[in-house]
Amino acid sequence: MLVAKGLSAGYGRSTVLHDIDLEVKPGEIVTLIGANGAGKSTLAKTIAGLIEPRGGVLTLGGENAQNLSAKERVRRGLCLVPEGRQIFGSLSIEANLRLGAYAHAEMSAADMEASIHQACEAFPILLARRQESAANLSGGQQQMLAIARGLMARPVLLVLDEPSLGLAPNLVKDIFRLIASLRSTGISILLSEQNARQSLAIADRAYVLANGRIIHSGEAKAIAAQSDIAQAYLGAGHQIGGQVQGNARVAQMRDLLVAFANDR
Amino acid sequence: MLGLIEALIGGIIQGGVYAAIALGFSLVFRVTGVVNLSQGAFSVLGAMGMYFCQVKFGIPILLSVIIAVLGTALFAAIVGATAFVPAVFRLPVSNTLMLTAGLLTFFEGVTLVVWGNQPYALPTFSGEAPILLAGIRIPTQGLWLSSGSLAIIVGLWWLLHRTRMGQALLASAENPLAARLMGVNVGRMMVLAFALAAGIGALTGVLFAPVAAIQFDSGRMLSTSGFIAVAIGGMGTFGGAVVGGLILGIAGQLAAFYVSSLFATSLSLALLIVVLIWRPAGLFRAGAVQRVDVRVNSIIHRALVRLPGRAAIALGGVLLAVFGCLPLLPLPPGVISSLAISMIIFLAVLGLDVLMGYTGQVSLGQAGFMAIGAYAAAILATTHEWPPLLATLAAMGLSLVCAFALSLVTGRLRGHYLALATLTFGLLVDSLTVGLIDLTGGPSGLVGIPSFAIGSFEFDSSEQMYYLALGIAAVVIVLLEGGMRSSFGRSLQAVRTDQLAAAALGVNVPAVKLAALCISSALASLAGSLYAFQFHFLSPEMVSTPRSFDFISMLVLGGEGTLIGGLLGALFLTMLPTLVQSLAVYKTIVSGLLLVGAILLLPEGLFGRMALFVARRWTSGARGKE
Repeated sequence: MLVAKGLSAGYGRSTVLHDIDLEVKPGEIVTLIGANGAGKSTLAKTIAGLIEPRGGVLTLGGENAQNLSAKERVRRGLCLVPEGRQIFGSLSIEANLRLGAYAHAEMSAADMEASIHQACEAFPILLARRQESAANLSGGQQQMLAIARGLMARPVLLVLDEPSLGLAPNLVKDIFRLIASLRSTGISILLSEQNARQSLAIADRAYVLANGRIIHSGEAKAIAAQSDIAQAYLGAGHQIGGQVQGNARVAQMRDLLVAFANDR
Repeated sequence: MLGLIEALIGGIIQGGVYAAIALGFSLVFRVTGVVNLSQGAFSVLGAMGMYFCQVKFGIPILLSVIIAVLGTALFAAIVGATAFVPAVFRLPVSNTLMLTAGLLTFFEGVTLVVWGNQPYALPTFSGEAPILLAGIRIPTQGLWLSSGSLAIIVGLWWLLHRTRMGQALLASAENPLAARLMGVNVGRMMVLAFALAAGIGALTGVLFAPVAAIQFDSGRMLSTSGFIAVAIGGMGTFGGAVVGGLILGIAGQLAAFYVSSLFATSLSLALLIVVLIWRPAGLFRAGAVQRVDVRVNSIIHRALVRLPGRAAIALGGVLLAVFGCLPLLPLPPGVISSLAISMIIFLAVLGLDVLMGYTGQVSLGQAGFMAIGAYAAAILATTHEWPPLLATLAAMGLSLVCAFALSLVTGRLRGHYLALATLTFGLLVDSLTVGLIDLTGGPSGLVGIPSFAIGSFEFDSSEQMYYLALGIAAVVIVLLEGGMRSSFGRSLQAVRTDQLAAAALGVNVPAVKLAALCISSALASLAGSLYAFQFHFLSPEMVSTPRSFDFISMLVLGGEGTLIGGLLGALFLTMLPTLVQSLAVYKTIVSGLLLVGAILLLPEGLFGRMALFVARRWTSGARGKE
């Protein structure tokens, strides 16, 4: 389905991802776990085509994909549900869903309606409130909308970036149950999560990311059982990640701060 | 009563024009997060195109309208794709705002070169005779105008809410990242919004031109009115744009009906100031705009270029020697006087650099302070026979008072609203210099201004004025150079980088902004006074708002945050038309192109690029020695 070999990517002068080897097979749920700043979101964005890779190979369904635009990747069934939900709050729920199918311009009105019903099968509340502005939805419902919007593109591989971020614990459970239930539809899922325990529980295989490198990979159950990995995962949180180094504004403010400290 | 109704109808017609222009503003603002100051110029291009088709070539009206509107939109699409949209992606919002000021100048230049500077009046669509309805006269073109505005409003609503393309536009406006994930080409949507806004502007211009003579720089006035309407209604909301336009139109016509038409401009400006103080975000709240601001803030400002201390001193010495010797060369008197003027103008650009380059506060009203300095000093020295030095200092005092008053309005404003408030201030000063005829001599200006003098020593030649300005500039640069390296200078830069973070570090943000504004306005005022003493004559257009745009061009061309860079810009843009008289007609277009080109290709400016080169060499050299 999706194969990455020796993938590297970054922002500006700093390289965030180094030599990533990763594979998602058809019908699989694969989870990508790692601390804040480990490079999970960068990897998700690189796979979706929002960031150009610096090196390596990315193939999608056997075809070379690293030169495809984000739109072309969506058309071929690769769909990213981004971190922080990123719904269009000022538009209606229905408009959000329709935009999910934007890449499929050829879709007829009847097909569109059928897609909306299909995507909302697990989320009846979205259908019931489809004319309402999406900003009125609660956090958990917005995450559901984001996933449903992703399903509108009729994906074969759904990349979910931190779907549990900022949700109450009981909602987090719901979201994970829902992701597990998507398995029956045959869609492959790449799930990037900080919440390692719960994502390992629903995944087939897992990759552990730290400082932009994959430090472990294997069966999800095996990784969940290994205590030293949890150790490594927690340890990574105490180092400065690549993301912070890449932020020039932080650097600029830091310089000013040092200068102020010297003044006084 | 009849008169009042007719004034109201006139207000609605006028308001429709403003509303249509405001819609163009709102569309571009929503999708790109940038206020496009060149919006009004599209109306002028549309009207000129219409004149070409209809009057010159005798093409039927409807076909002419279509050609003019589509032609303008196509032209805008090209400009949008090559200049505007790349800037939106790459540059901080303040630079993109300046880029649109450059585009406005560029469009004016194009119009000037193609159609000249005479006003054009188009024939009305269906005769001059107004329709009489129960004794009320309604001009037929007014009907065309209001139905045109209505068609634009309805058409835009339909496009945005009922078509796939419109939804993609709205999605790009609200969340560009998510829109890209849906497969929307956000850059193309921005170009589309820009071209669509241009089409709307052109259609408005075509319909408006028969009732108002249009000339190459009418776009400025239309941009301003549309901008004011948008600000009253609320930026980025389409309903707000329409309501703001109507309020502005009706208020203007009522003011003209009850008081006088001279008063209409001042009234609309006063209306805007009231709204800015009372509800800085406009009457209608835009939900989506918040997001746009977040994105805009994520583009960081470039770090300022700093020459190492010894390099700066060496360079300063060399520059002072070169500029000190310049008048000793056998130059024609015209060149000497241009040099003196450049040096005087450089003082105002220096002030702008402190405010814009170091503190990041976009000001479109710098010429306003120059006007205050020029008129106050000239009036005191001429009518009241004050000694010029005292008059100049008094004028600076008045400017500081005005700066303080302005800061009461602008204190809470940022970004576009700040730019808007300063533009309003500049325009208010413009309307006063023209309107207060008893004091300023009105449009014909003031004559018989004496030479500048300190005690009994008169600076009565251009050469002497040149040395005076050079001396002042040198002293000011040394003071500012030291100031900018002190903790005060760093607090300015902290405000420029991130106001919130600066406040968190203990920087008194309002005080720092006020200080920067005061330095900037004092220098502009000084430049204005010297300008008046140099010319012995003063008229409103010498110190009016287009000058503010010139200053920005000079600053950006030379290099923001470099102090000395503005001199290159001032010299270049002042000397160019003097040296090549026959090319004077191209001055506007060149100036616009230079500003746009500099912002896109040379964001650190001529001097900034040089300083960067020297600074890198210097540090690598120093490292080599270790």
